[in-house]
Amino acid sequence: MSIADDHRPDEGGDDLVAAEFVLGVLPVEERAAAARRIGAEPDFLHAVERWEGHFAPMASAYAPVEPPASVKAAIDRRLFSQQPAAAARPSSFWSSLTFWRGLAAAAVAALLLAVAIPYMGAPVGEPRGQLVASLVADGSDVRYLAVYDPSAGEVSLSHVSGERAAGKDFQLWTIEGGNIPVSMGVIPSGQAVRLPVDPAFAGKLTAGVKLAISLEPAGGSPTGQPTGPVVSVGDLFRL
Amino acid sequence: MEPRTSAFATGSQTPAGSAGPQDIVKLIVRTSMKDRAAFDLLYRHTSAKLFGVCLRVLNDRAEAEEALQEVFVKIWMKADRFAVSDLSPISWLVAVARNHAIDRVRQRRRATVDIDEALDIADPAPDPEAAVAAGGETQRIHLCLDELEKDRAEAVRGAYLRGESYAELAERYRVPLNTMRTWLRRSLLKLRECLER
Repeated sequence: MSIADDHRPDEGGDDLVAAEFVLGVLPVEERAAAARRIGAEPDFLHAVERWEGHFAPMASAYAPVEPPASVKAAIDRRLFSQQPAAAARPSSFWSSLTFWRGLAAAAVAALLLAVAIPYMGAPVGEPRGQLVASLVADGSDVRYLAVYDPSAGEVSLSHVSGERAAGKDFQLWTIEGGNIPVSMGVIPSGQAVRLPVDPAFAGKLTAGVKLAISLEPAGGSPTGQPTGPVVSVGDLFRL
Repeated sequence: MEPRTSAFATGSQTPAGSAGPQDIVKLIVRTSMKDRAAFDLLYRHTSAKLFGVCLRVLNDRAEAEEALQEVFVKIWMKADRFAVSDLSPISWLVAVARNHAIDRVRQRRRATVDIDEALDIADPAPDPEAAVAAGGETQRIHLCLDELEKDRAEAVRGAYLRGESYAELAERYRVPLNTMRTWLRRSLLKLRECLER
């Protein structure tokens, strides 16, 4: 790209704007315009990240300075003062799940009404043992609705929102109690997709079991366990 | 990119002493899962560096303290964004802090830009040990800056460390604004050519 860009009249084009943004020299309006482009244009985002990487070694000249204790206290007040003490100190992944579920309760109800019921196909009064989970997480826009149909031996996933990053995949996991997560496979891209359920595992998919989606390298986790952040999570429950 | 540790691992606590890049990765990932204990440790290990960044750019202690608060609020909210970044963990945190401090400094109208005072503060040469410790990340930028004329390299370094705008740089080097911009863009083109060589 550099050869073509060098011959453009503005000498360098977008890549140089990205460098100016990272360096921090742009006046306030141009800086705001560049910041908006980061969110909207993946190519520009990559150019910015490349320059951040190039310039990063210069940051070793920033001398560390211990901030006063009042700063951390103020951060905690801003972030956590509205929560009851129990919820404010999740000590583990599991308690943070509880925290998310609390936040997600309203979303579950809304999603079920809006998305699940029309999808089900089964007339009311003829329960087929299906289980449903609404997958959401605080701080993530990735949302799926999962429906497990034991008679079909598959999990249907409807994609509600949130895109996977370039070169990354979403992987579905099931977590029973405090056991380690078990992979159900990489989620194919698409609005409505299905994942077959290993018959040996089918009996374990019951109400209360968690489904979680993590962000993984393309093709799925190389280790057999989640390696990226959890972007969406929810409990299976009976319709 | 460095291998990421399991997002589900929560068992071992990182010791309070020194934290390597892998420990910081773990703490960021756990922070993205709203784990407050991890967030507290992340703060303990990185707040001094990030406060140094805020102080340098904002050049005002009270404002830097406020900026540091906002930076860690951002980190709590947006730690999941780290998963889609190719930067090393400390570089990502520094980028969050630097960008926030620069946003702040651009938005305030500095009553006086005390150029003379600013000129008196010499930029410390990058600490070679720290540079080695940063590991993994290419140090090529230093070699490429050395290929520029001395004052031009100094302008790039100063702009990066102090977050100066084109207007402030023009004042510092006593040249018209457009000249300053042309000057610096040429330096960036040369840098890019060297970095991609």
